[in-house]
Amino acid sequence: MSKMSDRRKFLKTTSAATIAALGASLPLAGFFNSPFNKSNINSSADTVILLWMAGGMAHTETFDPKKFTPYSPGLKSNDVLSTFNRVPTVLDDIYFSEGLESIGSIMDKGTLIRSYVSADMGHILHSRHQYHWHTCYRPPQSVSAPHMGSWIAKELGPKNPVIPAFIDIGQRFTLGESEELKAFHTAGFLGNEFGPFMIPDPTAGLDSVRPPVGMNEMRFEKRNQLYKELMDKGVMGEYGSDYHKESMKRSMEQAYMLLKSPEAAAFDLNKEPKESYDIYNTGKFGLGCLMAKRLTQQGARFITVTTEYEPFKNWDTHENGHTRLTDMKKQIDAPIAQLIKDLEKSGHLDRTLIVLATEFSRDMMVEGRPELKVLEQVKQPDIINDIKFYGMHRHFTDGVSMLMFGGGIKKGSVYGKTADERPCKTIENPIVIDQVHQSIYHALGIHPETKYIIEERPFYTTPDGKGKAVMELFQKS
Amino acid sequence: MLRRKLTWVALILMIFLLGSFMNIELTVQNTHSSVWIWKLLGRLHPLVVHFPIVLLLFAAIFELLGIKKADSPFRHTIHILLATGAISAIISAFLGYILSKDGEYGADILKIHLWTGFATAGIGAASWLLHWMAFQTKQESFILPYRLTLLLLPISIIITGHYGATLTHGKDYLSSAFDLDKTSDPIKPLSFDVTNAKNDTTKLTTTQEVELNVQVRTILAHNCYKCHGPEKVKGDLRLDHIDLIMKGGEHGPVVVPGNAEESELYKRIILPAGHEDIMPAKGKRLSEQEIKIIAFWINKGAVWPRKGQAENVFRVASIVPRNPELPSAPTSFVNPIDKWTNKYLTEKKIIWPKQADDRTFIRRVYLDIIGLLPTPNEIEAFISDKSPTKRDDLIKKLLDRNDDYATHWLSFWNDLLRNDYTGTGYITGGRYNITNWLYTSIKTNKPYTEFVRQLINPTKESKGFIEGIKWRGEINASQRTEMQAAQNVAQVFLGLNLKCASCHNSFISDWKLKDAYAFANIFADSSLEINRCDKPTGQFTRPAMLWKNLGTIDSAATKKVKLEQLSSIMIKPENGRLYRTLVNRIWKQMLGRGLVEPVDQMDNQPWSQDLLDWLSYDFQKNGSDLKRLIYLIASSKTYQSVSVGMKEPNDIFQQDYTFKGILRKRISAEQFADIAGAIIDPIFSDSIMKYKPTFDAGFIPYGGFYARAAFVANNPLLISMGRPNRENVATSRETQATLLQALELTNGSTFNSMLKRGALKWKLKYIQSELIIQQLYNSALGRAPSQKEKEIAKRMLGEIPNEDSIQDLFWAVMLLPEMQIVY
Repeated sequence: MSKMSDRRKFLKTTSAATIAALGASLPLAGFFNSPFNKSNINSSADTVILLWMAGGMAHTETFDPKKFTPYSPGLKSNDVLSTFNRVPTVLDDIYFSEGLESIGSIMDKGTLIRSYVSADMGHILHSRHQYHWHTCYRPPQSVSAPHMGSWIAKELGPKNPVIPAFIDIGQRFTLGESEELKAFHTAGFLGNEFGPFMIPDPTAGLDSVRPPVGMNEMRFEKRNQLYKELMDKGVMGEYGSDYHKESMKRSMEQAYMLLKSPEAAAFDLNKEPKESYDIYNTGKFGLGCLMAKRLTQQGARFITVTTEYEPFKNWDTHENGHTRLTDMKKQIDAPIAQLIKDLEKSGHLDRTLIVLATEFSRDMMVEGRPELKVLEQVKQPDIINDIKFYGMHRHFTDGVSMLMFGGGIKKGSVYGKTADERPCKTIENPIVIDQVHQSIYHALGIHPETKYIIEERPFYTTPDGKGKAVMELFQKS
Repeated sequence: MLRRKLTWVALILMIFLLGSFMNIELTVQNTHSSVWIWKLLGRLHPLVVHFPIVLLLFAAIFELLGIKKADSPFRHTIHILLATGAISAIISAFLGYILSKDGEYGADILKIHLWTGFATAGIGAASWLLHWMAFQTKQESFILPYRLTLLLLPISIIITGHYGATLTHGKDYLSSAFDLDKTSDPIKPLSFDVTNAKNDTTKLTTTQEVELNVQVRTILAHNCYKCHGPEKVKGDLRLDHIDLIMKGGEHGPVVVPGNAEESELYKRIILPAGHEDIMPAKGKRLSEQEIKIIAFWINKGAVWPRKGQAENVFRVASIVPRNPELPSAPTSFVNPIDKWTNKYLTEKKIIWPKQADDRTFIRRVYLDIIGLLPTPNEIEAFISDKSPTKRDDLIKKLLDRNDDYATHWLSFWNDLLRNDYTGTGYITGGRYNITNWLYTSIKTNKPYTEFVRQLINPTKESKGFIEGIKWRGEINASQRTEMQAAQNVAQVFLGLNLKCASCHNSFISDWKLKDAYAFANIFADSSLEINRCDKPTGQFTRPAMLWKNLGTIDSAATKKVKLEQLSSIMIKPENGRLYRTLVNRIWKQMLGRGLVEPVDQMDNQPWSQDLLDWLSYDFQKNGSDLKRLIYLIASSKTYQSVSVGMKEPNDIFQQDYTFKGILRKRISAEQFADIAGAIIDPIFSDSIMKYKPTFDAGFIPYGGFYARAAFVANNPLLISMGRPNRENVATSRETQATLLQALELTNGSTFNSMLKRGALKWKLKYIQSELIIQQLYNSALGRAPSQKEKEIAKRMLGEIPNEDSIQDLFWAVMLLPEMQIVY
């Protein structure tokens, strides 16, 4: 070959190589990576609904009940494994804790996982475990790690172009640990485009997708018209093509489309028939499930509905565990069962993966895990003389329950097992967060080694791209 | 008669072209250089080539149409088609030949295409000649040969065309359309083909070798080191260095350079998944692409960079300061920056961009120095000012507005130093705010050397930067606060990525795990145990500066002394890296793109090494004075030129970027909020300020309020407009508009309720539409509305507007690209 061609080749390779070795400290990793992440996996789901039991849901008080010890003063703490009676489910020999009868009645439609093992990260901080659950990475990280919903939004985009790809229902950032919550409610380096569309209060969800309060349809239309005309006649048109300008125009059009679309009505819970609304209306979480149902039927991609994390509230029971769980179960039981049934009825369940999860479980005695106990945060007397000590108040990471429905998941199946005696830890088929993420990505057809080069290093959906989907969870196709 | 003449002309033309062929062959071989005219001609090939295809095919079709009759009515048409077709085929072949010398294409397919191309041209010419003999000179014996050649033509055209298209679109262009089950590989593609290595003797260029080697090492590191690395040496085999690879394992060599199929390493990775002997034994099978790369690498002789070749492997920029002599330039270029730019543009044969007019300049320089817009009065006064030094005077005046200047640059430094009022870590006392120190330092224009010294060897007020963010619980070894300090100091002050090397030896540079730990040890009370990929190794290292020749750190000293030593080393004039990194960041801030990009990778090639070196040297020599640097840049013609737009956001990072003028920028979240607040109504109330600086006596805030966005906690409006969460160092902001941003602006309560408040104010103040439109355009866009714009706005407002319509006009104007772009 002549020298001329060598030189040309050299120049070509140099630029390609430098770009390849690049990876800026920009959050816009996407621009450096063409989508090599496309997968050959046949997807079994298009939509994911994550039902988040924030604050640590005790498995022995919910989906994995052990021997029931009723309350009486003078009870030895170490004797108490469950503070509720067990009730049968639709599956043979499978029992739930009292108060979860409705979910028990639909377990023939999904899989019960009793062997999730959450990370061991030392002295417990809820938001840190939640960060880990949602991003699959342990904070802090040297780059900003994306939320699972952002990965999905980035890889698959919105299912219906007028419904944001990642919707987050029920979490406010005005409560305790909110900065830590914000740290993972983000698309991180994938860029703001893929961040969560936050609906802190489902009853006000419509406000997020309609013209500003006090602006009627006609005025909204006129305002948009004015904007377009002023832009067309403005001088910026003379400046030729510029990505800032183009992206501004495009995003404004998108927002307008969303606000104008009939699908926006999915955000309006008042449009729901009263009988249905009442079933869901067990509080904010129940209504969140209702909104998730409505959005799924209109083509949402990833929705998370949370019971909301607030330190020492909801599932975060540092005292009065028994009493408070009665109430928590009331909040979730009917709406979740109804969500599954409604989606099945409307034909969406087959392609919608519903996951119920929590950052870790709780136990009356063990903080952390049996062989790696960490600093105890709750004082638990050896003998219980006050009902406020009757409940699971310590943070237990070694055996956690999860549920999965739809989206190709086996029906009427149980995966994994915990010990029947304390410590009630996972003794069969342990499953960790990497596997949970990969199973969800597998259902969606996202390649397990999906990655982006950020700051010159590959960043995978699960650390080092090593996670594997748990194939036993899926129906044989 | 005429026809015969034409034929002769064509024949002569053919001979001439053949002659030229020889000529070019000589030119190309003699000079090894390409004259642009040949290049251009070559590139006409893809265009011209379509003529003969159509012409010759139609000749064949017409022949078919009249095949029954000897005296076809199309005879004449066919003749013309054949003549033009044959000539254009020859021209195409000729142009194609030139193009092939251009060397952009792979060899094998090119050869086939070249020869079939010649053949087609030959057959075309033969066909034309035979046709002429058969029908023009009426020799019937030529009819059969003629028709045979004509039959051959479409076949040869299809073959040639196929290979030509393969060259242009690639092999899989057609097949990929129906290949639904294609596995894609997440591995980055190499810039060259890795499939045909075995018998291909072409040598790789150094760059290609590096590229290949990085890929191979990445594959080996992520898949093999675990069992065949320093930690674990299964089967006596280590794969983390070429000598060890070549040494092989307990059963002998695993790599036979030049022959993948004979190499045990390759044999084992291609086994089917689940096979007893497959490697990696644990973990997933390598992807097809990864296997291909390994095979290619072995077939190419298993290249691996040797010590001493390091410079060739990863580009490493010199840290030595350099003061290049200013180039000569026409006297109109006074500012040294312009002399360099002039040299650059002249060499690149680029015409100087025009100078921006006063109106554009004043808007730009206000936004870039104090983050605010000029008022309509300030604009008009500036434009009518006749002083020849008015631009320089304005820059000085803005730099003297200390509080406005500090407020604007505070956000830039907050991003860099990861400083914010809220964020993770504060909850458990694991993080410290440095805002007061930072604001004061910017405002008093602290010399950059002093600035850096106080951040690295901090006082109580400035310790937040190196203290990092500490979460409760156990964390990854590469994220302990001492390592965070090492990573952040390297990134922010030295434009160096230590993040890879803080976990394992870097694949993307020559920095080793040990170097990162040595550097981190400076920030530690006692020596840190080296962790490789979060696993303790039992090894320790002494504290050391990254470039050891800059100075030594006393390993027995206390942390305080070590930090003192490091801070002195860092700010030495000999550490040119510190000054280049800073100058490059400021340059990017003002001109939209760094001299080097990305700004955190200072080993990359700047678009003008001289300019970067000179500016950094000048900065250091003159007291590391940031305001002086900003003045120097802002007063240059380079900065004051007409701005250029970018088609794609990633164009900024192209390494072959050519400077053609200042780039258009999007205003920041803080600028947007401050401008809207000042013109319409404050967005944030003074009561939510997280930091209240001591303003200079007599300071009058723009718009009459103190709560500029840099002083409030991050919130949904600012987040949507791109203010980062400062959990990590952020050196570039996202400036592309997003849907979530548009939704926040369209119906978010913070912005829209402010517009509503403002509308009431304006209604009472201005009353008439005419005035409102005039005032809004002048203050937000710095110009009067055009007649057309006035009409549109007036149609909306009516003569005497109501609050709603004023609010909507605000909204529309604030969202105009013209308002949100620094042009």
